[in-house]
Amino acid sequence: MSDHKQTNLLKKLLLNTRHKSRLWAALAALCTGTTLLLISVMIWWNFRELLYGKNQNESLGSTYMIIGKQVKDRDMGKANATVFTQKEIDSLKLAPEVQDVGVISSNRFQVYAKMGGKLAFATELALECVPDKFIDKMPADWKWEPGNQNMPIIVSSKFLDIYNYAFAPSQGLPQLSESSVKSIALNLEVGQGEKMERFTAHVVGFSDRIESVLAPQSFIDYGNRKFGNGGVKESISQVILKAKDPSDTKFGDYLKRHDYRTNPQNLRWSRIRAIVEVVTSATGILALLLMGIGTLVFILFIELTIARAQHSLTLLLQIGYGPRFVSGFMIKRFLPMVVVTELVAMLLTVAGQVVTSNAVQTQGLVLPLVPGWPVWAALAVSTSILVLLVSRSISGAIAKQ
Amino acid sequence: MQLSLQEVIPVPLREKVNASKSGVWKTTQTFNKGEYIFIQAPSGTGKTTLVHILYGLRKDFEGVVKWNSTSLCTTNNETLAKLRATSISVIFQDMRLFPELTAWENVDIKRRLTNTVTEQQVSEWFDRLGLGDKKNSMGNNLSYGEQQRVSIIRALLQPFEWLLMDEPFSHLDHANIAKAIALISEVMNQHKAGMILADLDENNYFPYTQTILL
Repeated sequence: MSDHKQTNLLKKLLLNTRHKSRLWAALAALCTGTTLLLISVMIWWNFRELLYGKNQNESLGSTYMIIGKQVKDRDMGKANATVFTQKEIDSLKLAPEVQDVGVISSNRFQVYAKMGGKLAFATELALECVPDKFIDKMPADWKWEPGNQNMPIIVSSKFLDIYNYAFAPSQGLPQLSESSVKSIALNLEVGQGEKMERFTAHVVGFSDRIESVLAPQSFIDYGNRKFGNGGVKESISQVILKAKDPSDTKFGDYLKRHDYRTNPQNLRWSRIRAIVEVVTSATGILALLLMGIGTLVFILFIELTIARAQHSLTLLLQIGYGPRFVSGFMIKRFLPMVVVTELVAMLLTVAGQVVTSNAVQTQGLVLPLVPGWPVWAALAVSTSILVLLVSRSISGAIAKQ
Repeated sequence: MQLSLQEVIPVPLREKVNASKSGVWKTTQTFNKGEYIFIQAPSGTGKTTLVHILYGLRKDFEGVVKWNSTSLCTTNNETLAKLRATSISVIFQDMRLFPELTAWENVDIKRRLTNTVTEQQVSEWFDRLGLGDKKNSMGNNLSYGEQQRVSIIRALLQPFEWLLMDEPFSHLDHANIAKAIALISEVMNQHKAGMILADLDENNYFPYTQTILL
């Protein structure tokens, strides 16, 4: 068993205290490498969190787009020329970059909207619905059940812009704010003849994503069943897609091959994510290189220390000290340095995460204050590898004596 | 613990061994527990080589050397270290002290490994061998005679069944030899240990049970 005096004697013999600057340089390189590694993993993970995470940043990472089949001259007049089959929808789910697919159902029954007062008008109305998860700003009262007299609708914010900036000034009508539109009640007459039902519709929200008038799915299904003449699935003429990176040429080629059309603007999606991935990969590689060099310098320092103490080491083994005992003594001296280095790197990374989290908060984005699990995993793996390398190099160097 | 040698030939001395007759090399010898063996060896016959082989420092030999059933050729360093700390002790011809440690530290580093002798007892042994005032002298500042006495004390600080000695008194005067013999005999008796002493000339330092010409 090693006591304090014995430890001091062994230190005197085995740990040459000269050249401490080399040890500090090795530890600094190791610490810098580890910090860079952890920070590059942290950056990579934070971008993933921002782009695909469960927080409020989801729309950052994906683009939503509505696609339909191109209407061609030869197909004009054909009833189901632009209708999607279930097979085509299943194929879309597997298309490059596509993360989710939602069908857009439209009303297969007559809807007549009327409003009195200064803004009096009456018009036929086309309603559509999408699965709730595709709605960008979900209103709190977005639900309808058969028997409900009040019907919520969501209107494209572009429609309001067209009214406010084009239609209203040209007709001498007042411009309307979003809240004032929400307070307007529309009288809807749904269906014809004896089956006709009346509802009061309110605009409950505006969508930047879907350029249409949306009604709850339950209402469209109810209307199509009661007043329409066909199932919902048989009449899917548009589909909403959630795509990871629409600028991917594979995705563009897929749309082209199947004659699907969408807003071409969507396909010019910035390649910022690709750039971020390249930058984090490059930083990661640099960090690994630096860490490798740091580890190498540190291990060389240990081996140099052992080589310098070779005479004492040999004599210690000759007077009865076991190689395992001496290795254990050396490992106990060097491993805490590795652990402290890793801890410093971790603290710097945690500080970096806190700063990043606060910085993105001002942009309205949410990141956790604590680094994600890949950072901890990288720390665990790098520490384990370092501990293993240091232990093996010490045991190996001592066994050679 | 029994020591046996079977047809041992040190590789560097092969030609010399083949050309001459020896009581150890190329023979079969068995030394039993508690025996006092004196190996008389003229210069160049491999006296130090023999001590180093028996202590497991050299493996460049043919034949078999066994401590009980443990063959030194196949023993790993860990087992060897255990053997050196608990069963076999040695007094090297060249003393082998740590030059960067004091006389006391040279002894203390061994004492703290084995923990069989108290600090007070070691201090007493220093006084007995005339080293009381040399405790704080650095290893490399001691005379050969002082180094040899420190080396003797260091060899006695552990449990052992065999004490190997290679010209243990070569740098000592008669008075100091007598003191060292007395101390060694006392500790040998305590441990009921055997010894192998290799030296150039015939002597009667200890009551040998066997004298062999190398």
